[in-house]
Amino acid sequence: MKLRALSLCVFACTACAFDIDDFFDQVDNALTASAFHDNLRVRLSGTLDLEIYHFEQPAPGLIDSSIDTLFNPRLTLFLDAQVGSHIYFFSQSRLDRGFDPSDHGAQIRLDEYALRVTPWDDGRLTVQIGKFATVVGNWVPRHLSWENPFINAPIVYENVTPIRDKTAPFSVFDFVYGLYYYQKYAFNPVIWGPSYASGISVSGRVDRFDYAVEMKNASLSSRPESWNVTESGFEYPTFSGRVGFRPNEAWNFGLSASEGPYFRREAEATLPPGRDIGDYREFVLGQDASFAWRHLQVWVEFYEARFQVPRVGNADTFAYYVEAKYKFTPQLFAAIRWNQQLFGDVSDPPAGSIRWSQDLARIDLAVGYRFTSHTQLKLQYSYQHETTGQGNDNHLVAAQLTTRF
Amino acid sequence: MRLRRLLWFNAVFSIMPVALLAGAVVEGRVELPKSHSAPVQAKRYEIVTKAGVLSTQPPLAVVYLDGAFPRPASLPTKEVEQKDLTFIPALLPIRVGTRVEFPNLDDTYHNIFSYSPAKRFDLGRYRAEERPIPAEVFDKPGLVTLRCDIHDHMRGLILVLNTSYFVMTDTDGHFRLSGLPAGRYTLKAWIDSRTTREKPVELKDGQTLHVDFP
Repeated sequence: MKLRALSLCVFACTACAFDIDDFFDQVDNALTASAFHDNLRVRLSGTLDLEIYHFEQPAPGLIDSSIDTLFNPRLTLFLDAQVGSHIYFFSQSRLDRGFDPSDHGAQIRLDEYALRVTPWDDGRLTVQIGKFATVVGNWVPRHLSWENPFINAPIVYENVTPIRDKTAPFSVFDFVYGLYYYQKYAFNPVIWGPSYASGISVSGRVDRFDYAVEMKNASLSSRPESWNVTESGFEYPTFSGRVGFRPNEAWNFGLSASEGPYFRREAEATLPPGRDIGDYREFVLGQDASFAWRHLQVWVEFYEARFQVPRVGNADTFAYYVEAKYKFTPQLFAAIRWNQQLFGDVSDPPAGSIRWSQDLARIDLAVGYRFTSHTQLKLQYSYQHETTGQGNDNHLVAAQLTTRF
Repeated sequence: MRLRRLLWFNAVFSIMPVALLAGAVVEGRVELPKSHSAPVQAKRYEIVTKAGVLSTQPPLAVVYLDGAFPRPASLPTKEVEQKDLTFIPALLPIRVGTRVEFPNLDDTYHNIFSYSPAKRFDLGRYRAEERPIPAEVFDKPGLVTLRCDIHDHMRGLILVLNTSYFVMTDTDGHFRLSGLPAGRYTLKAWIDSRTTREKPVELKDGQTLHVDFP
């Protein structure tokens, strides 16, 4: 039934594609307003995503669903405001079934809001305060449904690891095998999506180099609830930064780093005596590169992460992906992404050492078609394979219809 | 031989003023719609942002003489620049068959595309210094909406016409269209994608006609 509804939407979009474009251009004009001789300009825009996922249990990535076929609609509203030439404000609010695809009921959230001040015209310095995406890596600028060639995120942004931020493990065994008996939502990935934590950032460009540093209230692995400043204050801040080098428009290279405590307050009671949240930190080092020319775009990210885990020691992991997108015609594109995450060993006195999670490899294939400049359909297939341990596989098929206005 | 050439030049120059005077002129004013609010650039995920605001693009109209006119042997190449994250000019009227170049004058990528039925194309991403400058030939009449895949506030229009007799109004709506052939025609004023006004006109050589589009 849901597939039929999606097909009807696709047909309708194709049939009146160009009227739709004109209509949405009129809507865009109607949703843009200005005052004080154009010194204050405000634009309301958004996207409506209709997604269907079909997968095997346990659900891959951050999908939180006990049913195998999940319908996940999402309405996203953006507000962009320019005050004079130096002040910019934006916000993003969503109505959906959870920050990550889930079989829960509807919820409304204010995911992002930030005020940005750019004192000089040349962009050498920008200060931003609010709740906004991390400056680490190069995935964030394309994480929204219209820009992302895929429906999901690279493995490092969504593969849950044995790291838990609400309770400390009681033993190495509890840490390594916890994934089998705790609820999936108890665990964290290395970076949770775009990490819309609260804080302040300073960024800018000097010649061919750009820089960005941020102080946030939660670590990169922290869950969406932790990102609100009302939930986590700045007693245990996380510091992140990125330095970029752009030899020309085609190439972009970056080095990122992040460091901060990853436990939530409620974990304090489960920590070893005399220890507090600040003693257990997440360290992330990242390297990214991108290339674009004509109809080809390529992105690469490598991440090395270390978690200091109570009663376990250091848990290290390495994850990377290579992603390419190519536009075959003005409206048709395809994308391929190879992801891998490898886990180190932790000390387990009786056994010597033990791998703290199973290594994973995943290939994502996607094809997309833009019916109009406001409507896009993407289809994705992903195959995930555990390269160590039992060698479990998971297949995911997903479709996403996006209308932006 | 030299004498014959002199006589030929003399003949050409003697009839030239008559040729320049020939043709009708239409002038008048088009009532333009109110100015839209200037676009707002989404800078949400740009690590580096420059200050400055996008300029307001006042509404303009294109006035043209509709009819079946012979196609000129050659047409000049036109340009739509991408500068300061806007299309310049924001509206370009051209004759069918015209080649338009799209130079990128910004220090960032642009990705110009159009899904309009009159011309569907995607130039991909290219640098300012790349040669040849990406270009397209517009071989079907109609309205082509230009967009940028990277900067979604950018919007430009190319109006592809079957006639060579067209002119753009100024920001007050005034226009003057000269060198028109004598005869009965329809004079049209394209105002936006949904509004084209028209009036029948009868043109005579050497006459200036006043036509307003209220």
